[in-house]
Amino acid sequence: MNNNVKAVRAYRRNLSIALGLILLVFVLIPVFVKSPYVLNVFVLIFYMSTLSMAWNLLGGMTGQNSLGHAAYMGLGAYASCLLITKAGANPWLSAIFAMVVVGLVAGVIFYPCFILRGPYFTLVSIAFGEAMRQFIINSSFFGRASGVGLPFGKDSWLDFRFASKVPYYYVGLVMLLGIYLLMKKIERSRMGYALRTIREDEDAAAAIGINPTRYKVMAVVVSAMVAALVGFFYASYIRYIDPELMTQAKSTESVLPAVVGGAAYVEGPLVGGLIMIPLSEFLRARFSAMLPGINMLMYAVVLITVIRFRPTGILGWYMRSKVKEFIDVKLLKKPPVEVFEAVELEKNRGKGA
Amino acid sequence: MSIFLQACVNGLLIGGFYSLMGMGQNVIFGVMKIVNFCHGEMLMVGMYLTFLLSTTFGLDPYACVPLVGILMFLLGALIQHTLITPSLGTKSFTNLLFLTVGLGMLLSNGALVLFGSEYRTIPTAYSQTYITLGQVNLSLPRLISFGVLIVISIALFAFLKYSTIGKQIRAVSQNPVGAEVVGINAKRIYILTYGLGTALAGVAGALLTGFYTIFPTAGAAFGFRALIVVVVGGLGSIPGAFFAGIFLGILETMVALFISPSYSDLIVFVTFIVILVVRQMIILRRK
Repeated sequence: MNNNVKAVRAYRRNLSIALGLILLVFVLIPVFVKSPYVLNVFVLIFYMSTLSMAWNLLGGMTGQNSLGHAAYMGLGAYASCLLITKAGANPWLSAIFAMVVVGLVAGVIFYPCFILRGPYFTLVSIAFGEAMRQFIINSSFFGRASGVGLPFGKDSWLDFRFASKVPYYYVGLVMLLGIYLLMKKIERSRMGYALRTIREDEDAAAAIGINPTRYKVMAVVVSAMVAALVGFFYASYIRYIDPELMTQAKSTESVLPAVVGGAAYVEGPLVGGLIMIPLSEFLRARFSAMLPGINMLMYAVVLITVIRFRPTGILGWYMRSKVKEFIDVKLLKKPPVEVFEAVELEKNRGKGA
Repeated sequence: MSIFLQACVNGLLIGGFYSLMGMGQNVIFGVMKIVNFCHGEMLMVGMYLTFLLSTTFGLDPYACVPLVGILMFLLGALIQHTLITPSLGTKSFTNLLFLTVGLGMLLSNGALVLFGSEYRTIPTAYSQTYITLGQVNLSLPRLISFGVLIVISIALFAFLKYSTIGKQIRAVSQNPVGAEVVGINAKRIYILTYGLGTALAGVAGALLTGFYTIFPTAGAAFGFRALIVVVVGGLGSIPGAFFAGIFLGILETMVALFISPSYSDLIVFVTFIVILVVRQMIILRRK
């Protein structure tokens, strides 16, 4: 018995060392990589993966396929930018403001829409995104089609404004990790189980006492708030926003990392983002002068191939692959399932006595 | 008054295209319960096919229509057979949705890579011809296109209602398992349906080329309006789709006339959300 406990402890230690090493690599990248272009790609990975995680809460976990996430992101960006430029607010406060406003808007608008199921929700999300974009284009308060710029100036943490990309890199990384931990927390909570039950069978969920509308509204509000946070980060990073941010194509782009990576997993958007975004950026930088659209064409090909041949995404494939077996057993020394069960049993017995 | 009449007629003429697109989407959605998010891109492919046929062989755009219809049918059947049917088995709505979204991206970006982002037109001898009827000016290509698409709509309606294949399609859309039990090959019907839907979108594209510019994202506006038509006109109803398309076209031109052209998209989308939610509430009440 004692050996079992030791084996499990050793595995946990190995796992945290491996994860710590990966994290360390990401923390150290800006120290060694000085190219602003490469750092830019990393920042892009961080915020697009975060946006994709926001989508995944609604799409992957709840089964409500939204195609309007660029709209929440855009609204968040607009809310924070307008508060900064019109009221002179502090950017960090404006981020909170943007999240609250977008969360409220999403909750109020989608509450009546949640009597719709399946494809209808997707249609409403597209119509909502497009309506918001058209509203901004037609409103002089939002700067119409010409967009809103944020003031430039000296580097400062208080104003979240830097000439270098390194601070954005670290803030982006922290944002990504924070949202990842939040999603992980939600997945393991009562809410996560409720959402997955709704995804599998809404009527069954209602029958066992889960209120589907309530949980779906909660999911859409959290998802929209995270998207708004990404919008704030994007606006502070690029320092200029326009309604093009909210087009249908951008919404689709925000979903791709999740679907390619594996929409059933919280880590799916991370894996998808890490693979797809550098590839897309490379193609864009290399070929877009000669062949515009080639990077999106490649995106489409990868997406179709993954859905056709690996319907559960890259992570879904990895979970059943020999690679995982090798890493788990040989590198991390993961003990067999029986050992975990024995340790679990031992622990419970200890509690019972 | 004459502006009002003119706007009505213009709405009617453009609405006919929304109807045709909506009918294709309706057939696909009715049978396979999947939303075809690349429907607009299929229209765009139809436009480029017409462009290629008429520039390389010197064909008149309207002479290309049957040819484009056949080619698009084959394209749709190929896509259904190689991509969609295998994915139908996974029963994952997310995957099917993003499969069609991915196809749409593939087609529109493929067109961008192949043809560039230039706006193209197919000039014809009659493209600038107008017929004056009372107070209303009618552009000849629009009128011809409208005539053709009315004929196609009636033919489609008759096909689904009276032909054996049409009856099989309706049987599969009502109950796929039941249809298989009575000896209908559902997979074949899926291929036929998707081919038919794509062909309708392609034909709409071919008919548009007479008076519309051709560019890689030309289909997007039509694609989403086709979805509106399906939802508003009712699932499985060809006449419903027809009238919903006309209604949508006239709504757009009326908003453009009385409010502002830049608000017409906004009003269309908001109207759509309202109609969808109200309709669903009525259905829930009835239960």
